[in-house]
Amino acid sequence: MIRKIFLVLAIALAFVQGAYGQGKPFVEITSFHKDADVSKVGINDDVWKDVASYKQPLQRQFLLEPKPKDVGVKEVHVQSVNDGRFIAFRLTWKDDTKDDTLKITNFSDAAAIQFPVSSDPLPEYFMGEPKKPVHILYWKAWRTKDQRDGTQSVNTSYPNMTIDMYTFDYKVTGTGTDKTQAQKDMFIPGRAALNPIDSAHKEIIEEASAEGPGTLKTKPVENTVGDAQWQNGTWTLVMRRPMTVADKESVQFKAGERKPIAFAVWEGHHMEGGGRKAVSPAWAEVMVQ
Amino acid sequence: MQMRKVYNWQLGRNASYIYPQVRPQKQWAMVFDLNKCIACQTCSLACKTTWTSGKGQEYMFWNNVETKPYGGYPVGWDMGILSKLGPQEWHGEKYAGKTLFEAAEKDEKILQHIAADEDWAHPNIGEDEIAGSINKGDWLTLPHRVWMFYLPRTCAHCTYPACLAACPRKAIYKRPEDGIVLIDQSRCRGYRECVRACPYKKPMFNVETRISEKCIGCYPKVEQGLMTQCVTNCIGRIRLHGYLNTPEKAVKENPIDYLVHVRKLALPLYPQFGTEPNIYYIPPIHAPVSYLEQMFGPGVGTAVRTYKNIPNDQTLKGLLVLFGSMEKILSSFKVDDKLAYGFDDKGNEIVKVPVTEPMFVREFFDSKLKVFRQNTP
Ligand code: SF4
Ligand code: SF4
Repeated sequence: MIRKIFLVLAIALAFVQGAYGQGKPFVEITSFHKDADVSKVGINDDVWKDVASYKQPLQRQFLLEPKPKDVGVKEVHVQSVNDGRFIAFRLTWKDDTKDDTLKITNFSDAAAIQFPVSSDPLPEYFMGEPKKPVHILYWKAWRTKDQRDGTQSVNTSYPNMTIDMYTFDYKVTGTGTDKTQAQKDMFIPGRAALNPIDSAHKEIIEEASAEGPGTLKTKPVENTVGDAQWQNGTWTLVMRRPMTVADKESVQFKAGERKPIAFAVWEGHHMEGGGRKAVSPAWAEVMVQ
Repeated sequence: MQMRKVYNWQLGRNASYIYPQVRPQKQWAMVFDLNKCIACQTCSLACKTTWTSGKGQEYMFWNNVETKPYGGYPVGWDMGILSKLGPQEWHGEKYAGKTLFEAAEKDEKILQHIAADEDWAHPNIGEDEIAGSINKGDWLTLPHRVWMFYLPRTCAHCTYPACLAACPRKAIYKRPEDGIVLIDQSRCRGYRECVRACPYKKPMFNVETRISEKCIGCYPKVEQGLMTQCVTNCIGRIRLHGYLNTPEKAVKENPIDYLVHVRKLALPLYPQFGTEPNIYYIPPIHAPVSYLEQMFGPGVGTAVRTYKNIPNDQTLKGLLVLFGSMEKILSSFKVDDKLAYGFDDKGNEIVKVPVTEPMFVREFFDSKLKVFRQNTP
């Protein structure tokens, strides 16, 4: 009996590995070499017009509970260009609702691209595995709105909210009333604990590493610059970064190389966040010209 | 979802959980006597000024007090999940329905009700609203024909926490030393799976930091042997804080064990959810038993009878007098014919109070000051 169960398990595992692990990539993307300054390429620049767009089908995250019943975004269109120094990716996907406003029950529209830090051996495509990290470039619509309109806070989320006084936020000066920002921040737990979500950042793209589901960790680098725009029910997101960077745990691109790539999109309106997301069903590949 | 079987004594049976059974060395627990709560909200404010006075926490009440049957914070937290759960029958002491883990939909870990944004905006909705209307000529009976009561709530530092089970990042942990359940503020990424999953709706999202927070069980006080802020500041002296053993290890000198296990006077809130919450309520004797049974399980009838008999029950009378009489956590207590005593874990006496306060009657005429004493405040 036990042997039988074991056999079934082994077959099931082999299937999972084959289909979603080291199996054939579903989509092959070309990153076209262009005579343009890719470090500055914008969302609607002409360079994108004559560059092939690859349709990447997405499906619900189906490996770990909680799994979304259904997902809001079923495909994302991917383009890529490079100039030998910088590489850029443009993602477009349909999303009828723009979810970029911070509220206690709002979820942000978001998207992420994932690369293996090393392709040999290739990590499990679903967020990597122990000792085989992946590098993730993670965009959130909340951060785009922060960058455009100023960082969202409780005052922008709930303008009618009232409070008498925050601790140490004296409206007078004098002995004992002058407190440092750090002293005041003791009353904002995530900030006091130096949670990377709440720490200062310049860019709308968060860089992170992971060695398996639930292990995502913000990297202390910001090498990826992004722009995002929602128009007529479509998000367009551009991410650009140097092809090589000093950080050894980051993805590096070389002309002529094939690089595994994976995608995830979150539809905030469907309360998608964390593991409730749409994902590409396996590693795809980007061929760098 | 692959579930484990854990023993849930509140349900009298094994129940499903995401992780195997691991009980802490000691379990943080509180007892609230609902017959005495006056909804003064001193507990809510004691908690708020201590822990949630920061930016992003404006709407947060880790401790809240709501009026039953209609009040709730967030609005409808209980109705929302109860109506989803379906029939919740008991066969004697054994729960015959499904817990929230057992009723989880496909691809989910736990059955959940998600509160809407505006549900968090009315912490004291339904305050003092009674269950029906009072007609001309109505009279008082016990239980009351038209009733309401106050329900103070905090996180119950559950033995099988839904919040912890739901977190995909394992950012929530239950401390082995005291059973307090905490969200690691440096690991949380604000996915709000805990906010969705906790049936008591006690994890909350901070828009300023964009991560979730919850009641910390006043662990900095607890580590020094002190009771929580909401307990020691309670005006109505309805609360007692300490540690609870499992029923088979109950120690009758431990005040929490005595109330929960020995006398079965204090009962868990919605045990059918299956998280084994560790706040125990002495049910209000003036509310209908059928309503209370849905809330506190099949033990309500016995608890109400025991409570009504307290005037003839010196030990319980003494123990209830100890509520709100000290800040230190009691390891044991003792009652004799005059006094109730509380002791720490080394057996040192911490507190001693008269079971019945002595009565002094003052003469109407004060001969020293040559004035009549008036009974006006
Ligand atoms: S302080 Fe005590 S009496 Fe007042 S509302 Fe809170 S629990 Fe009730
Ligand atoms: S009451 Fe809710 S937040 Fe508290 S431990 Fe239980 S499940 Fe977690």
